[in-house]
Order: sequence, then C-alpha cells, then structure tokens
Amino acid sequence: MRKSLMLAGACSLALTAVASAQDRTLTISVYSFSQDEFKELVYEPFEAICGCKIVVETGNSIERLAKIEANREDPVVDMAVISTHDALTAARKGLLQPIDVTQVPNHAKLYDIAKDPLGDHYGIGYTFYATSIVYRTDKVQVDSWADLLSPELAGNVALPDITTTGAGPTLHMIGKALGDTDTSLKTPIGEVAKHADDIVTFYVRSSQLAQLMQQEEVWAAPVGRFAWGRFKNNGLPMAWATPKEGQTGGMNVMIMTKDNGNEELAYEFMDYWLSTEVQTRLAESLIDSPANSEVVVSEEVAANLTYGADTVATLDLLAPDVIVDNRDSWLELWNSTVVN
Amino acid sequence: MFESRGTGLALTLPAAVFAAVLFILPVCILLSEAFRAGDGWSLVGYTEFFASDRNRTVFFRTFKLGILVTAVSAVVGYAAAFAIIGLPSTARGRIFGLVILPLMISPVARTYAWLVILGRTGFVNKALMSVGLTDEPFRILFTETAVFIGLLQLFMPLMIVSLVSAMENMPEDAVPAARVLGANWLQVFWKVILPLTREGLVIGGTLVFTGSLTAYITPAILGGSKVLMLETLLYQRVTVANDFVSASVIAMILIVMSFSVNLLLRRMATARRRR
Repeated sequence: MRKSLMLAGACSLALTAVASAQDRTLTISVYSFSQDEFKELVYEPFEAICGCKIVVETGNSIERLAKIEANREDPVVDMAVISTHDALTAARKGLLQPIDVTQVPNHAKLYDIAKDPLGDHYGIGYTFYATSIVYRTDKVQVDSWADLLSPELAGNVALPDITTTGAGPTLHMIGKALGDTDTSLKTPIGEVAKHADDIVTFYVRSSQLAQLMQQEEVWAAPVGRFAWGRFKNNGLPMAWATPKEGQTGGMNVMIMTKDNGNEELAYEFMDYWLSTEVQTRLAESLIDSPANSEVVVSEEVAANLTYGADTVATLDLLAPDVIVDNRDSWLELWNSTVVN
Repeated sequence: MFESRGTGLALTLPAAVFAAVLFILPVCILLSEAFRAGDGWSLVGYTEFFASDRNRTVFFRTFKLGILVTAVSAVVGYAAAFAIIGLPSTARGRIFGLVILPLMISPVARTYAWLVILGRTGFVNKALMSVGLTDEPFRILFTETAVFIGLLQLFMPLMIVSLVSAMENMPEDAVPAARVLGANWLQVFWKVILPLTREGLVIGGTLVFTGSLTAYITPAILGGSKVLMLETLLYQRVTVANDFVSASVIAMILIVMSFSVNLLLRRMATARRRR
C-alpha cells in the first residue's frame, strides 16, 4: 500500500513538472522572413534550454502592431521585434514597458547605437543594416547620393517608394548631399520632384528592383545591405557605393509589451537572442547583421553584412522620433509634388 | 429540395453565422470609423477626401481603369466564350483549363512576368523595334497602360469563366435559329446571346470590376506611386500615416463603387429583360 502511494506521488510530481514546463509559454511577434532558419537557430535551442514553448506570430509591422494594440488590456504577445520607428509609435501609444537591462546581461555587449535607440530603454537594437547605392560599374560611377539625380543616370535610376522604410533615410542622404539636412525633407523631395520623369520607378520591393536591374532598366538605386545578395551575383558588373556623405540604414529592436505578466521568460529569451553565440549563428547564416560587438565572422560572411565597429560608426541613421513626427508631412509633400 | 423550409435554413445557419461574426461584423466595425469625427457621426471624412484635387484625380483614374478593364474583358470574353463553347468537348475542356490556369498562379508572379515583357528590353519593345515601328524603346512600364494590361490579364479569366458558364445554359439551337431567320451576327449577339447570358455578364462584370478596384500588388509594381490608385493610396494612409480613418473612408468609397457597378449591371440586365 505504502509503495503504491509513493509511486502515485512520484508520478504526480513528474506530471506536474511536465505540466509546468508546458505552462511556460512565450508568445513572440516577429517578421515573416527566414522563419525556418530562426526556428532552427534561435527558437528550438531556447526551448530546449528553458523547458518552455515559444509561440510565434508573424506578419507585417502594421498587422502586428494593430494586434498588439487590440489586445492592450490583456496582452497576447509578450515580446516583439520591429523597426525603431514602429517601436516608438507603440511606445507613444502606451503599449510597451521599459526593458530592465539588468535582466539582460548580454545588453552590455551591444554596440552603443543599439543599447537604447528609443530612449528610456523602450527597445534594444538586435540588428541593423546599412543602406547605400548599388550601381552598374560599366555604366556610371557613384560617389555621392546626389549622383542619383545626375544627368548620367537620368532614365536609369530607381528610388524607394515613400511607403517603404528606405524612403526617409534615402531622402535624408540626398538632402545631406545637397547641403540641407532639415527634417522637413523639402529640399530633397523638391529635387526628386524636379527629376521625377528621370526616375524609372519608386520601387516597393527589393525583388522588384532586382528584376529591373537584371533586365537593365535600372543602373543604380538605394538598397538595404540585407538585399545586396540579390544584386552582387546577377551576372552584371555591380558595386556597393561608399558615398562621401556616408551610408544610412535602419535598425530593428526588441520590445516588451506592457503588463504581459511573462516578463521573466521574455528577458531570458531576449538575453539568449543577444548572446554572442546566437548572434554569431544568425550572422553566419546571413540572416541578421550582429548588434553584439563581440561577434566575429569571416571576411566572406562580413562582406554580406553590416558588420564591424568601423562600419557601424559611419552609419547616419535617421532618429526614430524624426521619422514618426514627420512622415505624415513627407507623404503629403511627396504626393503633392512627386506623384501625378 | 428539402422537406421543410426549416431544414434549408438550419443548413445555411452555420455558414451565415460564420460570415456574420467573422466577416460582416468586423468589416462594419472597421468601416464605422469612416463615419466618425470626434465623438459623433459625420461625413467630414468624405468631404475632406473629395476636396483634394489629387484625391479626385486618383478616384477618377481608379474608376476609369476599372470600367475600361471590365469593358475590354467583356468584349474579349464574349468572343473567347463563344469560341470555347463551339469546340468539341475534349478540346473545350483543354482550352477552358488553359483559361483558368493563370488563376492558379500567384498574382505576384503574374505581375513580375509583365515587368519582363513590358520592359525597355522586353518582348514588346523588341518586337516593335524589329518591325521598324520605333527606333527607341517605348516607356510602357510604370504607366497607366501597364496597370491596365496587368489588371486585364489578372481578371479577364473570371469574365470568360462566367460567360462560358452562361452560354452553356443557352438553348443549343437559339443562334442557328436566329441566323436561319435572317439575323446578322450583330443582331444575333444583341438580341439573342446578350439577353440569354446577362446573368453571366453581371457576375463576370462585378468580379472583374471589384477585382480591379481592390488589387494592390499589380498597380503597386506596374504603376508605382507615379500612377497612384485608390488601393495604393489606402496602403499609404495605413503604412505611412498610420491613419486608419482615412483608410476606412477610401475602403468605403471602394465598396460603394463596387456595389454601384453591380447595381448598374443588374439594372441593365433587367431593363433588357423587360423590353
């Protein structure tokens, strides 16, 4: 009888342990791309360590933000990864809580620009990318952002559409080349409007641009480094420009939803993602450029990423508050001057 | 068909509840935003929208392209449908399969194919230059023409399918009888085929027009922001301005346009029936 009771007790304890492991569930909201790789390189190894389950929600930024906002009273998503300006929009709506970086030891290893890009630790940068100009070396030489509007490229240049994340930074750099860094972007948008007929199109997807480059419609265009692989092996003489005004780019951050009640596990996961081990794995798989300054990769891998302290130091990133505060007026100005 | 009317209603109930709760209700909630201003109800969103010259241009461009795509689809669709139903059954099945094949391919892939075909180094320009019609390649991509071609190819199969289905229900000897009685082909079409296939035309026309109004990827890639349409404007309002109220106004305008054209087509069909 006693043996039976002990056996029943042991079984019950074992079942409770299994149940508690399954009870530890972390819901994350991430971009849709490379999810098979993320599952293999990040989610599954973390699940093995924490004995928990990760539920992944994907979609574009607008859908994911709308969902977080709709569930603000009872958050479904615990942590999310998103662009800096979308994160700032969420923070201003009161959807986020500041991240306690003492709970994320690997935070100390990040490049300085990634440590607190929004202020008050509302987000931690986990990856960033440079944006510069890809161009046909047999057709033109590109040394400045102003070259995009030069007579040599008239009729053979494409720019990012105003709806894309690349538009603001690109216009900012064109303005810088023209000697005007005012955040209204009046000068660069006015200049683009003057040359609107010389611009083949304002592209919405990098795959669309890759196609136009391939069929020799376009000789030069601003592109994020994450898309460089689409261009460099297209059989045409292509180069990544290093304009004298520098390169621009963007950053993605991790955010913590307000009052989600699952902060402890979310911090564990953030710390794991920012660890040198995981950031190296993601970099070597060419998924994300590392924000962890201790990551070391081969020259071949580095050539495909935004990598290294020197590169990071040259990035002229638009501040997220500048984007959020001005994008509505940029859109109005764009639609009234550039668009037919 | 059923023993009692209640059985039929009971069988439709799950689908009706599903559509009401998961589609109609959320859409109504979303669209109600388009009639709100502050704490009350208002039409200010619409007056502001139509007060802008640019918005009016975009509205008329969208409407014009929708009507044009529907009209050309109907003309080509009738010819294609008439040819298809005249074929032996095996050949008819094969040709019909070819017509609906594009519907099984992603609109994104189909749109990218047009990038290749309509480009300056693409098939169309090469053909025009080789026959000496032009020395310099035409700029077709990123114009209204490119958007029109893309939308036409995207939605014309829906018109052909609707018209083939309608023509299959026509009495087999209706056309030969009209011809024997001395009607020319125009009279046969106007007085025999059109009245007997009007339901197919209404369904096909509504599908093509609504599809043309709501397609996003084709105008975005083949037209870009140089050829702004209501659907690309809506996308701008949501993604850049985070302005769901304006986006709801545009969505409501698109819905009203779709219903209006459906109503117009139905009225045209009914008018002919009464005559």
